[in-house]
Amino acid sequence: MDDTKDNKNFLKFFYTYRPVLLVLPALILFIIFFIIPVVSLFVLAFDKPVTGVLSLQGEWTFKSFIRIYNRSLYFNAAVTSVSLAALSSLITLVIGYPLAYLIAKTENVARNTFLMILVLCAMQLDMVIRLFGLMVLLGDNGLINGALMYFKIIEKPIGLMYNKLGVLIGLVQFSLPFMILSLIGIIRGISPAVVEASRSLGATPNQAFWKIIIPLSMPGILAGTLLVFAISISSYIVPALMGGWKVMVMPLHVYQQIAEMGKWQFGSAIAVVLFCTSLISVIVYQKVAIRIGGGRA
Amino acid sequence: MSKKKLKEVNELGFLIKFGSGIALSILLIPVFIVVLTGLNSGDHLTFPPKGLSLRWIFAFFKSEEFLSAFLFSFGLALIVMALSTIFGTLAAIFITRFNFPGVQLLRALFLSPLILPGIVLGLALYIFYVSTDIGLARSYPGMVIAHMLVTMPYVIGTVSASLFNFDLNLEQAARSLGASPLTAFRKVTLPNISNGVMAGSVFAFIVSFGQFDVSLFMATPNNTPLPIALYWSLRYTFEPTAAAAGIFAIALVVISMLITSKLVNLQKFSGVKFD
Repeated sequence: MDDTKDNKNFLKFFYTYRPVLLVLPALILFIIFFIIPVVSLFVLAFDKPVTGVLSLQGEWTFKSFIRIYNRSLYFNAAVTSVSLAALSSLITLVIGYPLAYLIAKTENVARNTFLMILVLCAMQLDMVIRLFGLMVLLGDNGLINGALMYFKIIEKPIGLMYNKLGVLIGLVQFSLPFMILSLIGIIRGISPAVVEASRSLGATPNQAFWKIIIPLSMPGILAGTLLVFAISISSYIVPALMGGWKVMVMPLHVYQQIAEMGKWQFGSAIAVVLFCTSLISVIVYQKVAIRIGGGRA
Repeated sequence: MSKKKLKEVNELGFLIKFGSGIALSILLIPVFIVVLTGLNSGDHLTFPPKGLSLRWIFAFFKSEEFLSAFLFSFGLALIVMALSTIFGTLAAIFITRFNFPGVQLLRALFLSPLILPGIVLGLALYIFYVSTDIGLARSYPGMVIAHMLVTMPYVIGTVSASLFNFDLNLEQAARSLGASPLTAFRKVTLPNISNGVMAGSVFAFIVSFGQFDVSLFMATPNNTPLPIALYWSLRYTFEPTAAAAGIFAIALVVISMLITSKLVNLQKFSGVKFD
Protein backbone atom coordinates (compact mmCIF):
# COMPACT_ATOMS: atom_id res chain seq x y z
CA MET A 1 0.00 0.00 0.00
CA ASP A 2 2.73 2.38 1.04
CA ASP A 3 4.68 1.32 -1.99
CA THR A 4 2.07 2.47 -4.50
CA LYS A 5 1.74 5.76 -2.68
CA ASP A 6 5.47 6.28 -2.92
CA ASN A 7 5.31 5.42 -6.57
CA LYS A 8 2.51 7.89 -7.09
CA ASN A 9 4.48 10.60 -5.37
CA PHE A 10 7.48 9.77 -7.41
CA LEU A 11 5.48 9.90 -10.64
CA LYS A 12 3.96 13.22 -9.67
CA PHE A 13 7.41 14.58 -8.89
CA PHE A 14 8.73 13.15 -12.14
CA TYR A 15 6.00 14.70 -14.26
CA THR A 16 6.29 18.11 -12.60
CA TYR A 17 10.05 18.31 -12.92
CA ARG A 18 10.46 16.30 -16.12
CA PRO A 19 11.30 19.42 -18.19
CA VAL A 20 14.42 19.84 -16.03
CA LEU A 21 15.81 16.76 -17.78
CA LEU A 22 16.09 18.92 -20.93
CA VAL A 23 18.55 21.30 -19.37
CA LEU A 24 20.38 18.79 -17.19
CA PRO A 25 23.08 17.67 -19.69
CA ALA A 26 24.06 21.26 -20.51
CA LEU A 27 23.88 22.32 -16.86
CA ILE A 28 26.09 19.47 -15.63
CA LEU A 29 28.61 20.21 -18.38
CA PHE A 30 28.70 23.89 -17.41
CA ILE A 31 28.98 23.24 -13.68
CA ILE A 32 31.85 20.77 -14.00
CA PHE A 33 33.75 22.33 -16.89
CA PHE A 34 32.93 26.01 -16.62
CA ILE A 35 31.97 27.14 -13.12
CA ILE A 36 34.37 24.91 -11.17
CA PRO A 37 37.43 25.65 -13.40
CA VAL A 38 36.82 29.43 -13.40
CA VAL A 39 36.34 29.48 -9.63
CA SER A 40 39.49 27.37 -9.20
CA LEU A 41 41.41 29.85 -11.31
CA PHE A 42 40.38 32.63 -8.92
CA VAL A 43 41.28 30.51 -5.90
CA LEU A 44 44.69 29.70 -7.38
CA ALA A 45 45.38 33.38 -8.04
CA PHE A 46 45.03 34.12 -4.31
CA ASP A 47 47.15 31.14 -3.26
CA LYS A 48 50.78 31.41 -2.18
CA PRO A 49 52.89 31.49 -5.37
CA VAL A 50 55.31 28.54 -5.70
CA THR A 51 57.05 28.04 -9.04
CA GLY A 52 56.31 24.71 -10.69
CA VAL A 53 53.70 23.69 -8.12
CA LEU A 54 50.05 23.58 -9.08
CA SER A 55 48.51 21.94 -6.02
CA LEU A 56 46.79 24.16 -3.47
CA GLN A 57 49.06 25.62 -0.76
CA GLY A 58 46.14 26.91 1.28
CA GLU A 59 47.90 30.11 2.30
CA TRP A 60 45.83 33.04 1.14
CA THR A 61 47.78 36.03 -0.02
CA PHE A 62 47.63 39.02 -2.35
CA LYS A 63 51.31 38.51 -3.21
CA SER A 64 50.72 37.85 -6.92
CA PHE A 65 48.55 40.94 -7.32
CA ILE A 66 51.02 43.13 -5.44
CA ARG A 67 53.75 41.81 -7.75
CA ILE A 68 51.72 42.78 -10.84
CA TYR A 69 51.31 46.27 -9.40
CA ASN A 70 54.92 46.71 -8.31
CA ARG A 71 56.85 45.22 -11.20
CA SER A 72 56.92 47.73 -14.05
CA LEU A 73 57.10 44.84 -16.56
CA TYR A 74 53.62 43.67 -15.64
CA PHE A 75 52.16 47.03 -14.75
CA ASN A 76 53.26 48.43 -18.11
CA ALA A 77 51.74 45.42 -19.85
CA ALA A 78 48.42 46.24 -18.22
CA VAL A 79 48.73 49.88 -19.31
CA THR A 80 49.65 48.84 -22.86
CA SER A 81 46.71 46.41 -22.95
CA VAL A 82 44.22 49.03 -21.82
CA SER A 83 45.52 51.80 -24.08
CA LEU A 84 45.69 49.61 -27.21
CA ALA A 85 42.16 48.30 -26.56
CA ALA A 86 40.85 51.85 -26.01
CA LEU A 87 42.49 53.13 -29.21
CA SER A 88 41.17 50.13 -31.10
CA SER A 89 37.59 50.85 -30.03
CA LEU A 90 37.83 54.52 -31.06
CA ILE A 91 39.31 53.71 -34.47
CA THR A 92 36.83 50.91 -35.22
CA LEU A 93 34.01 53.29 -34.32
CA VAL A 94 35.15 55.92 -36.84
CA ILE A 95 35.83 53.33 -39.55
CA GLY A 96 32.84 51.11 -38.79
CA TYR A 97 30.07 53.71 -38.53
CA PRO A 98 29.77 54.58 -42.26
CA LEU A 99 29.48 50.91 -43.30
CA ALA A 100 26.99 50.18 -40.51
CA TYR A 101 24.94 53.18 -41.65
CA LEU A 102 25.08 52.04 -45.28
CA ILE A 103 23.95 48.50 -44.38
CA ALA A 104 21.18 49.77 -42.10
CA LYS A 105 19.84 52.08 -44.79
CA THR A 106 20.10 49.60 -47.69
CA GLU A 107 16.51 48.59 -48.41
CA ASN A 108 17.29 46.24 -51.28
CA VAL A 109 17.14 42.78 -49.64
CA ALA A 110 19.70 41.13 -51.93
CA ARG A 111 22.27 43.92 -51.49
CA ASN A 112 21.67 44.05 -47.75
CA THR A 113 22.13 40.29 -47.40
CA PHE A 114 25.26 40.45 -49.55
CA LEU A 115 26.85 43.11 -47.33
CA MET A 116 25.84 41.22 -44.17
CA ILE A 117 27.43 38.03 -45.53
CA LEU A 118 30.67 39.93 -46.24
CA VAL A 119 30.80 41.27 -42.67
CA LEU A 120 29.89 37.90 -41.13
CA CYS A 121 32.47 36.05 -43.26
CA ALA A 122 35.15 38.51 -42.17
CA MET A 123 34.10 37.98 -38.55
CA GLN A 124 33.89 34.18 -38.61
CA LEU A 125 37.10 33.56 -40.56
CA ASP A 126 39.86 32.20 -38.37
CA MET A 127 41.88 35.20 -37.09
CA VAL A 128 45.20 33.47 -37.77
CA ILE A 129 44.36 33.35 -41.48
CA ARG A 130 43.37 37.02 -41.53
CA LEU A 131 46.65 37.84 -39.74
CA PHE A 132 48.58 35.89 -42.37
CA GLY A 133 47.16 38.30 -44.97
CA LEU A 134 47.93 41.36 -42.85
CA MET A 135 51.49 40.20 -42.21
CA VAL A 136 52.16 39.61 -45.90
CA LEU A 137 50.83 43.13 -46.49
CA LEU A 138 52.68 44.95 -43.71
CA GLY A 139 55.95 43.05 -43.21
CA ASP A 140 59.42 44.47 -44.00
CA ASN A 141 59.43 42.45 -47.22
CA GLY A 142 55.68 42.81 -47.51
CA LEU A 143 53.51 44.24 -50.25
CA ILE A 144 53.32 47.84 -48.97
CA ASN A 145 57.04 48.18 -48.28
CA GLY A 146 57.78 46.24 -51.49
CA ALA A 147 55.64 48.60 -53.57
CA LEU A 148 57.05 51.74 -51.94
CA MET A 149 60.61 50.56 -52.54
CA TYR A 150 59.79 49.39 -56.07
CA PHE A 151 58.61 52.88 -56.97
CA LYS A 152 61.63 54.36 -55.11
CA ILE A 153 59.45 56.29 -52.68
CA ILE A 154 61.40 54.94 -49.71
CA GLU A 155 64.81 53.31 -49.50
CA LYS A 156 64.50 51.23 -46.36
CA PRO A 157 61.33 49.41 -45.25
CA ILE A 158 59.21 51.30 -42.72
CA GLY A 159 58.23 49.40 -39.60
CA LEU A 160 54.53 48.66 -39.99
CA MET A 161 54.48 45.62 -37.72
CA TYR A 162 56.33 43.97 -34.86
CA ASN A 163 55.50 47.19 -33.00
CA LYS A 164 52.49 48.85 -31.37
CA LEU A 165 51.24 50.20 -34.69
CA GLY A 166 51.10 46.68 -36.10
CA VAL A 167 49.20 45.36 -33.06
CA LEU A 168 46.75 48.25 -33.35
CA ILE A 169 46.12 47.59 -37.06
CA GLY A 170 45.57 43.91 -36.24
CA LEU A 171 43.15 44.72 -33.41
CA VAL A 172 41.14 47.04 -35.67
CA GLN A 173 40.91 44.33 -38.35
CA PHE A 174 39.89 41.81 -35.68
CA SER A 175 37.18 43.85 -33.98
CA LEU A 176 35.69 45.89 -36.84
CA PRO A 177 32.89 43.35 -37.61
CA PHE A 178 31.77 43.38 -33.96
CA MET A 179 31.51 47.17 -34.03
CA ILE A 180 29.54 47.15 -37.29
CA LEU A 181 27.08 44.53 -36.00
CA SER A 182 26.57 46.48 -32.75
CA LEU A 183 25.76 49.65 -34.71
CA ILE A 184 23.46 48.30 -37.45
CA GLY A 185 20.56 47.43 -35.14
CA ILE A 186 20.42 50.81 -33.44
CA ILE A 187 20.79 52.81 -36.67
CA ARG A 188 18.00 50.77 -38.28
CA GLY A 189 15.82 51.49 -35.22
CA ILE A 190 15.99 55.27 -35.73
CA SER A 191 12.61 56.30 -37.08
CA PRO A 192 12.82 58.03 -40.49
CA ALA A 193 9.97 60.26 -39.27
CA VAL A 194 12.29 61.95 -36.77
CA VAL A 195 14.78 62.77 -39.49
CA GLU A 196 12.03 63.98 -41.83
CA ALA A 197 10.61 66.17 -39.08
CA SER A 198 13.98 67.86 -38.59
CA ARG A 199 14.31 68.32 -42.36
CA SER A 200 10.86 69.89 -42.64
CA LEU A 201 11.83 72.31 -39.87
CA GLY A 202 14.69 73.48 -42.03
CA ALA A 203 17.66 71.34 -41.05
CA THR A 204 20.10 70.55 -43.85
CA PRO A 205 20.99 66.86 -44.44
CA ASN A 206 24.34 67.51 -42.76
CA GLN A 207 22.66 69.02 -39.70
CA ALA A 208 20.13 66.19 -39.58
CA PHE A 209 22.96 63.64 -39.66
CA TRP A 210 25.13 65.23 -36.99
CA LYS A 211 22.37 66.56 -34.72
CA ILE A 212 19.73 63.83 -35.03
CA ILE A 213 21.14 60.54 -36.32
CA ILE A 214 24.45 60.51 -34.47
CA PRO A 215 22.95 61.43 -31.03
CA LEU A 216 20.20 58.82 -31.53
CA SER A 217 22.80 56.13 -32.32
CA MET A 218 24.67 56.93 -29.10
CA PRO A 219 23.56 53.75 -27.26
CA GLY A 220 24.88 51.62 -30.14
CA ILE A 221 28.09 53.63 -30.23
CA LEU A 222 28.61 53.09 -26.50
CA ALA A 223 27.75 49.39 -26.68
CA GLY A 224 30.03 48.87 -29.69
CA THR A 225 33.04 50.62 -28.17
CA LEU A 226 32.72 48.70 -24.89
CA LEU A 227 32.37 45.37 -26.69
CA VAL A 228 35.37 46.09 -28.91
CA PHE A 229 37.37 47.13 -25.85
CA ALA A 230 36.54 43.83 -24.14
CA ILE A 231 37.47 41.62 -27.10
CA SER A 232 40.58 43.65 -28.00
CA ILE A 233 42.04 43.45 -24.51
CA SER A 234 41.44 39.67 -24.44
CA SER A 235 43.14 38.90 -27.74
CA TYR A 236 46.24 36.73 -27.54
CA ILE A 237 46.81 35.97 -31.21
CA VAL A 238 46.90 39.56 -32.51
CA PRO A 239 49.68 40.89 -30.23
CA ALA A 240 51.54 37.57 -30.45
CA LEU A 241 51.81 37.71 -34.25
CA MET A 242 51.56 41.41 -35.12
CA GLY A 243 53.76 42.46 -32.19
CA GLY A 244 56.24 39.61 -32.62
CA TRP A 245 56.45 39.30 -28.79
CA LYS A 246 57.92 42.82 -28.67
CA VAL A 247 54.67 44.42 -27.53
CA MET A 248 53.92 42.69 -24.24
CA VAL A 249 50.27 42.72 -23.22
CA MET A 250 48.45 40.78 -20.48
CA PRO A 251 47.35 37.72 -22.53
CA LEU A 252 50.96 37.12 -23.63
CA HIS A 253 52.17 37.25 -20.01
CA VAL A 254 49.47 34.77 -19.00
CA TYR A 255 50.70 32.27 -21.57
CA GLN A 256 54.37 32.88 -20.81
CA GLN A 257 54.01 32.49 -17.02
CA ILE A 258 52.08 29.23 -17.36
CA ALA A 259 53.53 27.49 -20.41
CA GLU A 260 57.13 28.62 -20.18
CA MET A 261 57.82 29.33 -16.51
CA GLY A 262 55.40 27.10 -14.64
CA LYS A 263 54.30 29.99 -12.43
CA TRP A 264 50.73 28.79 -12.06
CA GLN A 265 49.59 31.14 -9.30
CA PHE A 266 51.11 34.25 -10.84
CA GLY A 267 49.83 33.42 -14.33
CA SER A 268 46.35 32.89 -12.87
CA ALA A 269 46.56 36.26 -11.11
CA ILE A 270 47.29 38.04 -14.43
CA ALA A 271 44.40 36.11 -15.99
CA VAL A 272 42.13 37.29 -13.16
CA VAL A 273 43.16 40.93 -13.71
CA LEU A 274 42.53 40.50 -17.45
CA PHE A 275 39.16 38.87 -16.81
CA CYS A 276 38.02 41.58 -14.41
CA THR A 277 39.08 44.42 -16.74
CA SER A 278 37.11 42.93 -19.61
CA LEU A 279 34.20 41.96 -17.32
CA ILE A 280 33.73 45.54 -16.13
CA SER A 281 33.35 46.80 -19.70
CA VAL A 282 31.01 43.90 -20.55
CA ILE A 283 28.76 44.64 -17.56
CA VAL A 284 28.47 48.27 -18.62
CA TYR A 285 27.85 47.01 -22.19
CA GLN A 286 24.95 44.83 -21.05
CA LYS A 287 23.42 47.63 -19.01
CA VAL A 288 23.55 49.79 -22.14
CA ALA A 289 22.24 46.96 -24.34
CA ILE A 290 19.25 46.40 -22.03
CA ARG A 291 18.48 50.10 -22.20
CA ILE A 292 18.55 49.94 -25.99
CA GLY A 293 16.23 46.92 -25.98
CA GLY A 294 13.85 48.61 -23.58
CA GLY A 295 13.81 51.87 -25.49
CA ARG A 296 12.91 50.33 -28.80
CA ALA A 297 9.24 49.94 -29.70
CA MET B 1 15.10 72.06 -53.07
CA SER B 2 17.98 74.50 -53.22
CA LYS B 3 21.22 73.62 -54.94
CA LYS B 4 23.11 73.90 -51.71
CA LYS B 5 21.01 71.21 -50.06
CA LEU B 6 21.44 68.89 -53.03
CA LYS B 7 25.18 69.29 -52.82
CA GLU B 8 25.08 68.49 -49.13
CA VAL B 9 23.16 65.27 -49.77
CA ASN B 10 25.82 64.26 -52.24
CA GLU B 11 28.63 65.16 -49.88
CA LEU B 12 27.11 63.18 -47.05
CA GLY B 13 26.38 60.25 -49.36
CA PHE B 14 29.95 60.42 -50.63
CA LEU B 15 31.35 60.43 -47.10
CA ILE B 16 29.29 57.37 -46.16
CA LYS B 17 30.29 55.51 -49.31
CA PHE B 18 33.94 56.47 -48.95
CA GLY B 19 33.99 55.35 -45.30
CA SER B 20 32.21 52.11 -46.18
CA GLY B 21 34.81 51.47 -48.85
CA ILE B 22 37.61 51.85 -46.31
CA ALA B 23 35.87 49.53 -43.83
CA LEU B 24 35.24 46.88 -46.49
CA SER B 25 38.88 47.11 -47.63
CA ILE B 26 40.15 46.59 -44.11
CA LEU B 27 37.84 43.60 -43.70
CA LEU B 28 38.51 41.96 -47.05
CA ILE B 29 42.02 42.87 -48.25
CA PRO B 30 43.78 40.47 -45.84
CA VAL B 31 41.51 37.68 -47.08
CA PHE B 32 42.29 38.45 -50.73
CA ILE B 33 46.01 38.49 -49.93
CA VAL B 34 45.78 35.00 -48.45
CA VAL B 35 44.04 33.77 -51.60
CA LEU B 36 46.67 35.47 -53.80
CA THR B 37 49.55 34.04 -51.75
CA GLY B 38 48.10 30.55 -52.02
CA LEU B 39 47.74 30.88 -55.79
CA ASN B 40 50.97 32.73 -56.64
CA SER B 41 53.78 30.95 -58.45
CA GLY B 42 56.73 32.44 -56.53
CA ASP B 43 58.15 31.19 -53.23
CA HIS B 44 56.31 33.97 -51.44
CA LEU B 45 54.03 36.80 -52.44
CA THR B 46 56.07 39.85 -53.49
CA PHE B 47 55.34 43.12 -55.20
CA PRO B 48 54.91 42.93 -58.16
CA PRO B 49 53.36 39.41 -58.08
CA LYS B 50 54.99 36.81 -60.29
CA GLY B 51 52.03 34.91 -61.69
CA LEU B 52 49.43 32.33 -60.83
CA SER B 53 49.84 28.62 -60.28
CA LEU B 54 48.31 25.74 -58.39
CA ARG B 55 51.64 24.47 -57.03
CA TRP B 56 50.88 25.50 -53.43
CA ILE B 57 47.42 23.93 -53.57
CA PHE B 58 49.09 20.64 -54.55
CA ALA B 59 51.76 21.20 -51.92
CA PHE B 60 48.97 21.56 -49.34
CA PHE B 61 47.46 18.21 -50.33
CA LYS B 62 50.87 16.60 -49.86
CA SER B 63 51.74 18.49 -46.68
CA GLU B 64 51.71 16.31 -43.59
CA GLU B 65 51.56 19.36 -41.31
CA PHE B 66 48.69 21.41 -42.76
CA LEU B 67 46.50 18.76 -44.37
CA SER B 68 46.35 16.69 -41.19
CA ALA B 69 45.64 19.84 -39.13
CA PHE B 70 42.87 20.80 -41.57
CA LEU B 71 41.28 17.35 -41.38
CA PHE B 72 41.70 17.29 -37.59
CA SER B 73 39.88 20.63 -37.27
CA PHE B 74 37.16 19.50 -39.66
CA GLY B 75 36.48 16.30 -37.73
CA LEU B 76 36.62 18.11 -34.39
CA ALA B 77 34.19 20.76 -35.63
CA LEU B 78 31.73 18.07 -36.81
CA ILE B 79 31.75 16.31 -33.42
CA VAL B 80 31.50 19.59 -31.52
CA MET B 81 28.66 20.71 -33.79
CA ALA B 82 26.67 17.53 -33.18
CA LEU B 83 27.11 17.58 -29.39
CA SER B 84 26.58 21.34 -29.01
CA THR B 85 23.44 21.22 -31.15
CA ILE B 86 21.88 18.46 -29.05
CA PHE B 87 22.86 19.90 -25.64
CA GLY B 88 22.15 23.47 -26.70
CA THR B 89 18.78 22.86 -28.35
CA LEU B 90 17.45 20.96 -25.34
CA ALA B 91 18.67 23.70 -23.00
CA ALA B 92 17.16 26.40 -25.22
CA ILE B 93 13.76 24.65 -25.15
CA PHE B 94 13.89 24.56 -21.37
CA ILE B 95 14.94 28.20 -21.04
CA THR B 96 12.24 29.55 -23.36
CA ARG B 97 9.38 27.21 -22.41
CA PHE B 98 9.43 26.64 -18.69
CA ASN B 99 9.11 29.19 -16.00
CA PHE B 100 11.27 27.66 -13.30
CA PRO B 101 12.85 30.03 -10.81
CA GLY B 102 16.30 31.13 -11.87
CA VAL B 103 15.77 30.49 -15.57
CA GLN B 104 17.18 33.92 -16.44
CA LEU B 105 20.28 33.17 -14.41
CA LEU B 106 20.65 29.90 -16.32
CA ARG B 107 20.39 31.78 -19.61
CA ALA B 108 23.10 34.20 -18.51
CA LEU B 109 25.29 31.26 -17.46
CA PHE B 110 24.98 29.57 -20.85
CA LEU B 111 25.83 32.76 -22.74
CA SER B 112 28.74 33.74 -20.49
CA PRO B 113 31.52 31.86 -22.35
CA LEU B 114 31.05 34.55 -25.01
CA ILE B 115 32.27 37.26 -22.66
CA LEU B 116 35.02 35.35 -20.87
CA PRO B 117 38.36 35.98 -22.62
CA GLY B 118 39.15 32.78 -24.54
CA ILE B 119 42.64 32.51 -23.11
CA VAL B 120 41.28 32.76 -19.54
CA LEU B 121 38.75 29.98 -20.21
CA GLY B 122 41.43 27.86 -21.87
CA LEU B 123 43.76 28.36 -18.91
CA ALA B 124 41.03 27.64 -16.35
CA LEU B 125 40.15 24.37 -18.09
CA TYR B 126 43.80 23.39 -18.50
CA ILE B 127 44.47 23.96 -14.79
CA PHE B 128 41.33 21.97 -13.97
CA TYR B 129 42.35 19.08 -16.24
CA VAL B 130 45.91 18.96 -14.91
CA SER B 131 45.07 19.33 -11.22
CA THR B 132 42.19 16.83 -11.16
CA ASP B 133 44.28 14.38 -13.18
CA ILE B 134 41.27 12.73 -14.83
CA GLY B 135 43.08 12.13 -18.09
CA LEU B 136 41.60 15.13 -19.91
CA ALA B 137 44.73 17.30 -20.04
CA ARG B 138 45.99 17.56 -23.61
CA SER B 139 43.49 14.94 -24.74
CA TYR B 140 40.94 14.84 -27.55
CA PRO B 141 37.86 14.68 -25.27
CA GLY B 142 39.31 17.57 -23.27
CA MET B 143 39.46 19.67 -26.42
CA VAL B 144 35.93 18.66 -27.46
CA ILE B 145 34.60 19.84 -24.08
CA ALA B 146 36.46 23.16 -24.37
CA HIS B 147 35.02 23.76 -27.84
CA MET B 148 31.52 22.81 -26.69
CA LEU B 149 31.65 25.55 -24.05
CA VAL B 150 32.42 28.25 -26.61
CA THR B 151 30.02 27.00 -29.31
CA MET B 152 26.92 26.24 -27.21
CA PRO B 153 26.11 29.94 -26.62
CA TYR B 154 25.62 30.33 -30.38
CA VAL B 155 23.24 27.33 -30.57
CA ILE B 156 21.29 28.44 -27.49
CA GLY B 157 21.09 32.03 -28.79
CA THR B 158 19.79 31.14 -32.27
CA VAL B 159 17.43 28.37 -31.13
CA SER B 160 15.86 30.48 -28.37
CA ALA B 161 15.38 33.34 -30.85
CA SER B 162 13.43 31.05 -33.20
CA LEU B 163 11.44 29.60 -30.27
CA PHE B 164 10.46 33.11 -29.21
CA ASN B 165 9.19 33.82 -32.72
CA PHE B 166 7.18 30.60 -32.86
CA ASP B 167 3.45 30.89 -32.20
CA LEU B 168 2.69 28.65 -29.23
CA ASN B 169 -0.99 28.50 -30.22
CA LEU B 170 -0.07 26.18 -33.09
CA GLU B 171 1.34 23.63 -30.67
CA GLN B 172 -1.65 24.01 -28.36
CA ALA B 173 -3.98 23.48 -31.32
CA ALA B 174 -2.24 20.17 -32.03
CA ARG B 175 -2.55 19.24 -28.33
CA SER B 176 -6.26 20.04 -28.28
CA LEU B 177 -6.73 17.78 -31.31
CA GLY B 178 -5.33 14.92 -29.27
CA ALA B 179 -1.59 14.92 -29.93
CA SER B 180 0.65 14.01 -26.99
CA PRO B 181 3.05 16.78 -25.85
CA LEU B 182 5.97 14.99 -27.47
CA THR B 183 4.13 14.39 -30.76
CA ALA B 184 2.91 17.97 -30.87
CA PHE B 185 6.44 19.20 -30.31
CA ARG B 186 7.94 16.83 -32.87
CA LYS B 187 5.36 17.36 -35.62
CA VAL B 188 4.49 21.04 -35.16
CA THR B 189 7.16 22.94 -33.24
CA LEU B 190 10.32 21.21 -34.43
CA PRO B 191 9.70 21.76 -38.18
CA ASN B 192 9.08 25.44 -37.43
CA ILE B 193 12.29 25.97 -35.47
CA SER B 194 14.45 23.64 -37.58
CA ASN B 195 15.94 26.60 -39.49
CA GLY B 196 17.09 28.14 -36.22
CA VAL B 197 18.55 24.84 -35.06
CA MET B 198 20.42 24.38 -38.33
CA ALA B 199 21.71 27.97 -38.33
CA GLY B 200 22.90 27.44 -34.75
CA SER B 201 24.75 24.29 -35.71
CA VAL B 202 26.41 25.98 -38.69
CA PHE B 203 27.67 28.68 -36.30
CA ALA B 204 28.84 26.00 -33.86
CA PHE B 205 30.78 24.32 -36.67
CA ILE B 206 32.48 27.46 -37.92
CA VAL B 207 33.29 28.82 -34.45
CA SER B 208 34.90 25.51 -33.51
CA PHE B 209 36.75 25.31 -36.84
CA GLY B 210 38.30 28.77 -36.38
CA GLN B 211 38.83 28.50 -32.64
CA PHE B 212 42.28 29.53 -31.47
CA ASP B 213 42.14 30.85 -27.91
CA VAL B 214 40.75 27.88 -25.99
CA SER B 215 42.73 25.41 -28.14
CA LEU B 216 46.06 27.04 -27.25
CA PHE B 217 46.54 25.20 -23.94
CA MET B 218 44.93 21.99 -25.23
CA ALA B 219 46.94 21.27 -28.38
CA THR B 220 49.59 18.53 -28.63
CA PRO B 221 51.62 17.36 -31.65
CA ASN B 222 48.96 14.67 -32.18
CA ASN B 223 46.01 16.98 -31.58
CA THR B 224 46.76 20.11 -33.60
CA PRO B 225 43.83 22.11 -34.97
CA LEU B 226 44.44 24.20 -38.10
CA PRO B 227 44.59 27.63 -36.37
CA ILE B 228 47.29 26.37 -34.00
CA ALA B 229 49.29 24.77 -36.84
CA LEU B 230 49.08 28.02 -38.84
CA TYR B 231 50.12 30.01 -35.76
CA TRP B 232 53.25 27.94 -35.18
CA SER B 233 54.29 28.23 -38.81
CA LEU B 234 53.50 31.98 -38.96
CA ARG B 235 55.83 32.69 -36.07
CA TYR B 236 58.78 31.84 -38.27
CA THR B 237 57.87 32.19 -41.95
CA PHE B 238 55.07 32.91 -44.41
CA GLU B 239 54.58 29.59 -46.13
CA PRO B 240 52.38 29.71 -49.23
CA THR B 241 51.30 26.17 -48.30
CA ALA B 242 49.71 27.65 -45.17
CA ALA B 243 47.91 30.19 -47.39
CA ALA B 244 46.64 27.33 -49.57
CA ALA B 245 45.20 25.73 -46.43
CA GLY B 246 43.71 29.16 -45.68
CA ILE B 247 41.94 29.19 -49.07
CA PHE B 248 40.04 26.04 -48.12
CA ALA B 249 39.17 27.48 -44.72
CA ILE B 250 37.90 30.67 -46.41
CA ALA B 251 35.73 28.58 -48.77
CA LEU B 252 34.29 26.74 -45.78
CA VAL B 253 33.39 30.02 -44.02
CA VAL B 254 31.80 31.51 -47.14
CA ILE B 255 29.70 28.36 -47.71
CA SER B 256 28.62 28.34 -44.04
CA MET B 257 27.53 31.97 -44.13
CA LEU B 258 25.63 31.45 -47.42
CA ILE B 259 23.77 28.55 -45.80
CA THR B 260 23.04 30.72 -42.73
CA SER B 261 21.64 33.50 -44.92
CA LYS B 262 19.19 30.99 -46.44
CA LEU B 263 18.15 29.70 -43.01
CA VAL B 264 17.62 32.87 -41.01
CA ASN B 265 16.78 36.44 -41.92
CA LEU B 266 20.09 38.27 -41.72
CA GLN B 267 18.28 41.60 -41.83
CA LYS B 268 16.86 40.87 -38.40
CA PHE B 269 20.27 39.87 -37.16
CA SER B 270 21.74 42.67 -35.12
CA GLY B 271 24.40 42.81 -32.52
CA VAL B 272 26.64 39.92 -31.71
CA LYS B 273 24.00 38.04 -29.81
CA PHE B 274 21.21 36.41 -31.66
CA ASP B 275 18.19 37.64 -29.78
